[in-house]
Amino acid sequence: MEVLASGVGEFRMPDPDGLRAYVREHKERRLVSKVMTEQDAISRFVEDGAYVAYDQNTAVRGPASLFREIIRQRKKNLWLCAKFTWSDVSLLVAGGCVSKVDVGWMATGPVVNRALQKGEIELIEWTNGALSYRLLAGAMGVPFLPMRYMGGTDAFARSAAKLLTDPYLEKPICVVPALNPDVGILHVHQCDVYGNARVFGAGVAPMEIGMASKRLIISTEEIIDNEAIRRQPQRTTIPYYFVDAVVLAPFGTYPGGVPGLYGADVQHVLEFAGAEGQDRMGEYLDKWVHSVASHEEMLEQRVGAKKLLHLRQEETVREGYYE
Amino acid sequence: MTETVTFTDIESNICTVARLVEEDKLYFVQMAGAPLMAILTAKRMRTPGVGYVVEEGAVAPSPTFPLGRMMLGASRSHYRSVCWTGMNVVDFHATLGYMDYGVLAAIQVDKYGNLNSTIIGGSYEKPERRFGGPGGGNEIASQCWRIIVMTKLQKRKFVEKVDFMSSPGYLDGSPDARERAGMPAGTGPYRIVTERAVFGFDEESHMMRLQAIAPWISVEEVLARMDFKPLIADPLEELAPPSEEELTILRSEIDPGGFTLSRGEWFNVERDDSGAMRLVSASGESADA
Repeated sequence: MEVLASGVGEFRMPDPDGLRAYVREHKERRLVSKVMTEQDAISRFVEDGAYVAYDQNTAVRGPASLFREIIRQRKKNLWLCAKFTWSDVSLLVAGGCVSKVDVGWMATGPVVNRALQKGEIELIEWTNGALSYRLLAGAMGVPFLPMRYMGGTDAFARSAAKLLTDPYLEKPICVVPALNPDVGILHVHQCDVYGNARVFGAGVAPMEIGMASKRLIISTEEIIDNEAIRRQPQRTTIPYYFVDAVVLAPFGTYPGGVPGLYGADVQHVLEFAGAEGQDRMGEYLDKWVHSVASHEEMLEQRVGAKKLLHLRQEETVREGYYE
Repeated sequence: MTETVTFTDIESNICTVARLVEEDKLYFVQMAGAPLMAILTAKRMRTPGVGYVVEEGAVAPSPTFPLGRMMLGASRSHYRSVCWTGMNVVDFHATLGYMDYGVLAAIQVDKYGNLNSTIIGGSYEKPERRFGGPGGGNEIASQCWRIIVMTKLQKRKFVEKVDFMSSPGYLDGSPDARERAGMPAGTGPYRIVTERAVFGFDEESHMMRLQAIAPWISVEEVLARMDFKPLIADPLEELAPPSEEELTILRSEIDPGGFTLSRGEWFNVERDDSGAMRLVSASGESADA
């Protein structure tokens, strides 16, 4: 296949056989409980320098409690997959955890701009779809996939995509390398102790992240019985053998919302924006991350039951999610 | 007797795009802000059955009006969809050719309709300002049959060449440029909608062409707000300002919180008995990018 053009962006070389060998050696096949604390999940499965992918964002079903634990444990040099994300990247950059970001779309406030100007983070350009598609290739266990967008643009030139001559049609086609994150982090509506996980509503790419990732941490609004999973198998997004850790995290997306369950805390979103705008992220992180030992402690001491009940009431739509 | 119409650039763009919406077509709409409000306005006022998808994977939602004060969160914007899936799947719907129109916003556009949503000023390595990136815009702009772009008519936004091409228009304008970059044939930018003028593209040269102007502005004034000289259609169509009915529905049912609509530049336009319109005042350039 003739290579017509190549992007210059840094990327991890796909290694489907390496992943197969890892899976054979390390992934648990038995139905065993993977329930653990957020502290254990992050310290065991997220190492400095890891490539981390997550689904959704600060506003909707993002894994915010696990992000805060990553910051609390002062993880360093993470490489983030920022597709369809929001201020999640800013939070982790402010926490000192990030060195590279694959960008589809992210909120770019003062934190990201300052880190860029100081050369503290490096960005590699992609698109939301291209990153989701790279995760799909990773989930399929193939080294690359062809697609019909991104070619010809500066996003292409700064990515690691290539333009090839299609061996069948002999026409130009864009290909992207598979993405197999070291760690996938997903927040879900329901999960059993083994990791059979349910995401309700339009996802972005929860199944792709779940299958493509070498290690997978699930945080869940509730742990349900395995019998409940077996009664409605159609509702399972990710089966147990992909999952390494199950962390119980009610309101785990806070300050964001989980569709069908609770709304986002707009006041908190404004507090974050204010801290970012006024260069007071240190104070923000002290209050919401470093001065509390856990997500549960943050909910108790910083948010409070009254606010949480209010957020539940704010989400008036149930149909389609739990009904 | 004269009457005065007061609206923002964003309201004008939403109404213009909403009027372009056809009930027998499918739309791929950027997930929030003005593009989403345009399709919702169309659904509310003229084409209730029109189908659209959003990139996170909701197919043909049917939100009830009035919408919430803030469309933060999926449950309201995905309400009563016919299918909830994921990003790859709705992108495949576009790859397969089902999406007639893509509706996008951009911070900068060039004479071939290429779009920037990544950086403004400086170099790529040291940009003056970094923006979010293409998001889902690239897959929408590459794969839908026709692309409608919403932006503002400003010299720094209508440039000879974009600072960074996040999403494709006609690339260098040459014949088959998009196919040579791997995109499906027969696709490309269709309309660039602003508050003062609407642009199309010449089918041969792929150059941007002034297609319609607001009745309260001259061609010279439009050209003075651009960094390059577009082709000019003859005759020029009229870009009608928002009607009272449209503005009432926008403000009370589409964005009752005013989080999107009230930002931007405000215009006061006077209409006399003969129907002639003149600009009484504009609030000036907004701080948006």
